[in-house]
Amino acid sequence: MNPIMAIVQRNLLNYVRSKGRVFGSLFMSMFMFVMFSFLMKSSMSSVNAPMNYLISGVIIMSVFQTSVNNSSDILSDISSGYMKEVMVAPILRSQISIGNILSGAVIAALQGAVTAIVGIAIGLSINALQGVLMLAVMFISAMTFSAVGLFLATVSRNSPAFQTISSMIMMPLTFVSGAYIPTTIIPAFLLPIVYINPLTYTTSIFRYIALGANKMTAAELVNEGIAFKIGSFTITPIMGLLITVLIGAVFFAVCVMKFNKADFSSVKIAKNVHGSRALQR
Amino acid sequence: MNKIIEVEHFTKRYGDFTAVDDISFAVDEGSIFAFLGPNGAGKTTTINTLCTILDKSEGNIQINGHDVAKEKALVRKDIGIVFQDSTLDEKMTVEENLKYHCAFYKVPKSEVAKRIDFALDLVELLDWKRAIIGSLSGGMKRRVEIARGLVHYPKVLFLDEPTTGLDPQTRANVWEYIQKLQKQKNITIFLTTHYMDEAEVCSKIVVMDHGKIIAHDTPENLKKQYTSIEIKVVCSKSEMLENALQNRSIPYHINGNTIIFQTKQSSNALEILLACKNEIIDFEVKKGTLNDVFLAITGKEIRE
Repeated sequence: MNPIMAIVQRNLLNYVRSKGRVFGSLFMSMFMFVMFSFLMKSSMSSVNAPMNYLISGVIIMSVFQTSVNNSSDILSDISSGYMKEVMVAPILRSQISIGNILSGAVIAALQGAVTAIVGIAIGLSINALQGVLMLAVMFISAMTFSAVGLFLATVSRNSPAFQTISSMIMMPLTFVSGAYIPTTIIPAFLLPIVYINPLTYTTSIFRYIALGANKMTAAELVNEGIAFKIGSFTITPIMGLLITVLIGAVFFAVCVMKFNKADFSSVKIAKNVHGSRALQR
Repeated sequence: MNKIIEVEHFTKRYGDFTAVDDISFAVDEGSIFAFLGPNGAGKTTTINTLCTILDKSEGNIQINGHDVAKEKALVRKDIGIVFQDSTLDEKMTVEENLKYHCAFYKVPKSEVAKRIDFALDLVELLDWKRAIIGSLSGGMKRRVEIARGLVHYPKVLFLDEPTTGLDPQTRANVWEYIQKLQKQKNITIFLTTHYMDEAEVCSKIVVMDHGKIIAHDTPENLKKQYTSIEIKVVCSKSEMLENALQNRSIPYHINGNTIIFQTKQSSNALEILLACKNEIIDFEVKKGTLNDVFLAITGKEIRE
């Protein structure tokens, strides 16, 4: 077995075996679903297909949150000691990163798919092609945000810090992405944040597919909050996809660099903080 | 004999603190080599550097002809490691732990099942293949780790205090596996330990303290050099014995009808005892242990 596939398989197995987590994360996206689909309906009066508009936003957000949160798995592998076994194995650091990002992305995309199925039951109407394209975008975004999550995990180094940092970043980004609240009704002074938010573009391409918006003109897309006009320049949903991939590539490169540098002595120190670390060296 | 590990002028510093200070040693292929020392002596730092987890500050370290700092991937292939703390994957089964290990070490697909059985058989855990690690006892986990450390057939197996925290029986078993392995596969075993009795069976011992090597020899030579034989004699009359000891200017002390004295060589003792055999009711000979060696060299007892 290829080392990357071994890591992916092991992480998926690990996820399936943590039953609490499977149910917990599914429950969370269902909850968001119900909350936003029904409560926010009234604010959607300006858009064409409110159910598709809303539900697609919730789906892509659940993919985003799952993929970032799954990255904290690597922290429990570090604290349980298992990461040491991986780090002393004759495999490349980039293989460790790819394996972890890939498994996180598969889990997040699967969860997105389940959410989408429930979405269809509630009122999301899409055809088969849209379904396939949505799944593809979910997977690509999941790769990107798993890489972001892995980066946050290597920066924060322990679970409580990761939770704090990730929710500190995720919450605001989620709310100014247009996923829950259309960017068209977001106050003008927040718009710069909307435009620099990577989630805005992920949401844009996903919603573009969910709405079957390929026949809309650029002006119509801007009106629906799917494309963005900054000055005289229009960012289309396809550009949004490219931006998502680019961000993923950047964070992946940073993660590999961080893994290469880590001699993991510092991780050991963190782990034995109650023991006689200073003496044991 | 072929040197499988060669360490020259190895130094490791953490900021201002020098954990390991300019040490050099070599390990023969196929031998059992022990690293002894009190807590904080620099044992774990040394083993972690040999295992490519830590980077050295200075010096030259080679394992099987590969530079530990420059050829990490090649070195990692040649070594197996059992760390002080568990590094098992708790939610996976025994078999899965070994299977993924084989994937990381690129064990040929056709060999994986056979090798897993071999390694588990060695540590007598074949019946526990499908047990989840989290459900095993501490001793069993340690055995799984040893099996995992071997399954890719390393040239050198590093064991960082492999028996710490285990009950005496499990400890004896683990030790038995280690010796069995060394004989069967001619693997070089490099271990650190706190237990002196374990070090007795090693071919070479290095004693470390304060980041320096303070002794490096076989257990027999170390005992010869640093310990003496203590003889306790119960006698009916003590005159002859006392005379004999005074003639040879050997210090002694008397406790009732018991005389206690020490000597470097057992032949000396025999001579004295034979000369006064009519007075002697009973006697007891206590040989020096590695613990005494340790005490003599470091000035402190080794602690668990």
